[in-house]
Amino acid sequence: MSPLFPLTLALYAVACALYLSHFASPGESMAKMARAALIAAFAAHAVDIGVLCVHGLHPFVNARESFAFAAWLTVGAYLLLSLRFRVPILGALIVPVTIVLLVAARVLPSPAGPAVGLLQGLHIGLATAGVALFAVAAGGAALFLMAEWQLKQHKPGKALRKGPSLDTLDKINRASILLGFPLFTVAMVLGALLAVHRPDGGAHRLLQPAYLLSTVTWGLYAALVVARVTGGWRGRRAALVTLAGFGAAVCVLLIYYSHGFGVRA
Amino acid sequence: MSLVVVGLSHKSAPVELRERVAFAEPALDAAVKRASSCGDGEALLVSTCNRVELYITGAPDDVRARVLTFLAEVGTVGESALAPHLYTSADEAATRHLFRVAASLDSMVVGEPQILGQVKAAYAAARAAGTVGATLERTVQRAFAVAKRVRTETAIARSSASVASAAVALARHIFGELDGKELCILGAGKMADLAATHLVAAGCKSIVVVNRTLARAEALAKKTGGVARSFEELESALGRADIVVCSTGAVRPVVSKELVQRVMKARRGRWLCFIDIAVPRDVEQTVGELPNVYLYDVDELSNLVEGNLADRQREAEKAGGIVEEELVRFVRDEKSLGLVPTIRALRERTLALARAEAERAAARLPGVAPDALAAFAEALVNKLLHAPLTALKRDPDHTALQQAARELFGLSEEDSHSASDAAPQHKGKK
Repeated sequence: MSPLFPLTLALYAVACALYLSHFASPGESMAKMARAALIAAFAAHAVDIGVLCVHGLHPFVNARESFAFAAWLTVGAYLLLSLRFRVPILGALIVPVTIVLLVAARVLPSPAGPAVGLLQGLHIGLATAGVALFAVAAGGAALFLMAEWQLKQHKPGKALRKGPSLDTLDKINRASILLGFPLFTVAMVLGALLAVHRPDGGAHRLLQPAYLLSTVTWGLYAALVVARVTGGWRGRRAALVTLAGFGAAVCVLLIYYSHGFGVRA
Repeated sequence: MSLVVVGLSHKSAPVELRERVAFAEPALDAAVKRASSCGDGEALLVSTCNRVELYITGAPDDVRARVLTFLAEVGTVGESALAPHLYTSADEAATRHLFRVAASLDSMVVGEPQILGQVKAAYAAARAAGTVGATLERTVQRAFAVAKRVRTETAIARSSASVASAAVALARHIFGELDGKELCILGAGKMADLAATHLVAAGCKSIVVVNRTLARAEALAKKTGGVARSFEELESALGRADIVVCSTGAVRPVVSKELVQRVMKARRGRWLCFIDIAVPRDVEQTVGELPNVYLYDVDELSNLVEGNLADRQREAEKAGGIVEEELVRFVRDEKSLGLVPTIRALRERTLALARAEAERAAARLPGVAPDALAAFAEALVNKLLHAPLTALKRDPDHTALQQAARELFGLSEEDSHSASDAAPQHKGKK
């Protein structure tokens, strides 16, 4: 374990506490402090990952480091989108999940997987970055569904009063998917090329369940992107498809992480 | 000298009486100048649609009698008719009242934001008229600070308190900022006018008024800066609008589910918010089931308002605690001002002795720098005085302790008075 890990975890915990207390306090000061704490946690986490890389434990060496890397990218995706959309309630949703991922990563066994080449590393990195953005989109979609349900029931709750509008949540969903989809697409193409061109590979490897599920995930997001851009899809339907796509994406990642990256390589 | 408040509000007097003694904002400075003669010269006149109050320094009974005469003259009402509606408080109670008024805890709609601006306008008028002295300056400034603290630390003003403002809040839940949103007003009644005014103030533009009688639509459109459309153009108007306020006098719904389904198809799913304040309702209830369509009728908006008012009441209790806390602090600060002469005399007396002794010692000790001796003597005095001064400041009410300090350190009343004369006066900024 890197000596920076406890500090990283502590900073995430502080950010989490501040995000949650934002809803119990008037004004925006708690949200601003939470964002500052999250930026500090993100930076500490980046250094932590860097230190581990120097010691040969790069993010794709085993499931533990991959989980931690996925958590770091998710926070990065949230911080990136928060440049445009200040939505503390999404932070209050994402940071606890990040903490759970980090703690889960620490308790997982960490056997070293097969060696990962440059292209394979790029493939895994892009796929994880895409899923991190899909995670933010899913967070926005879940909040949208909750807020919309409250509005349709004519009972806007306290979280909704302090939270963003439906339009903002929908825009977060749209922006996250439009950013994440190209990354995920490139990762898919790279994955297919790597699978076909490996020594024991061939087109038949694309029929493995993990790759098929990846294709279904990609198909769901592709359909959503097309429907959003050309068909004017938004709101509840887009949120539901986002959540379905994210569920499939998480399954794909879990399969790869649990079996080692040799599954596709 | 006491701070006295004499006035009448929605809690003590009917509107017929309040409107007779109310002052328009431009006339406030002249009125407060006249009112200042009811006391010792310091006066503040707060006049809103819900209250007329005079904060004046002087003897409470005299001030009340003179203010009664003053207001009776202004409103051309008999003193006997006015007197039962007039309340009076003095000193701590008057300060508490001003704190509560500025923090909007005494308002008809608790937490409404206008009152602080009205108190600030009253203060500006009093400053212009030269009727703000040391007492009012300190009290009013503290009232502003209390009001700010209440707004920052409680959620008293965060929720809507009227159907029209609830409609704006609802639209914000859907769209976020309303700048540039298109507003369609269906019907040209008074309620539609009120809701439209709130929504326009919140940023909506491009107003379209649709009404069966085009002339009435044109009248409301002219008032709100929009355009009038006939009822036949309803579908195209709905296709463009983001928010639709409905208040026709129709006995059956004029907006059907089928119509909105067609409209939503043309809108490519853009959000559409219906605020149906008509009774009977203008929009079929099933319209609210359509995707991306949000429908609130007048009962649902009223329920929101009732819930918000209950929340405000709970926050008002918290705010009341803040007012009491600040009042205790203010009263303590005011009392500690009375200590200033004693403290000043004590310091001047002891420092004068120390300097004299240092000079004498310097004359006898040629090898020692006089400045070093003077610094030593002053430091010793400061250290010796630290404990008694802390004890005095800790309990400004303890007159026996003040008396003991004067006797123990040999301070005469004259010393205290001369120190008091030299003390800076807390005058308002002119």
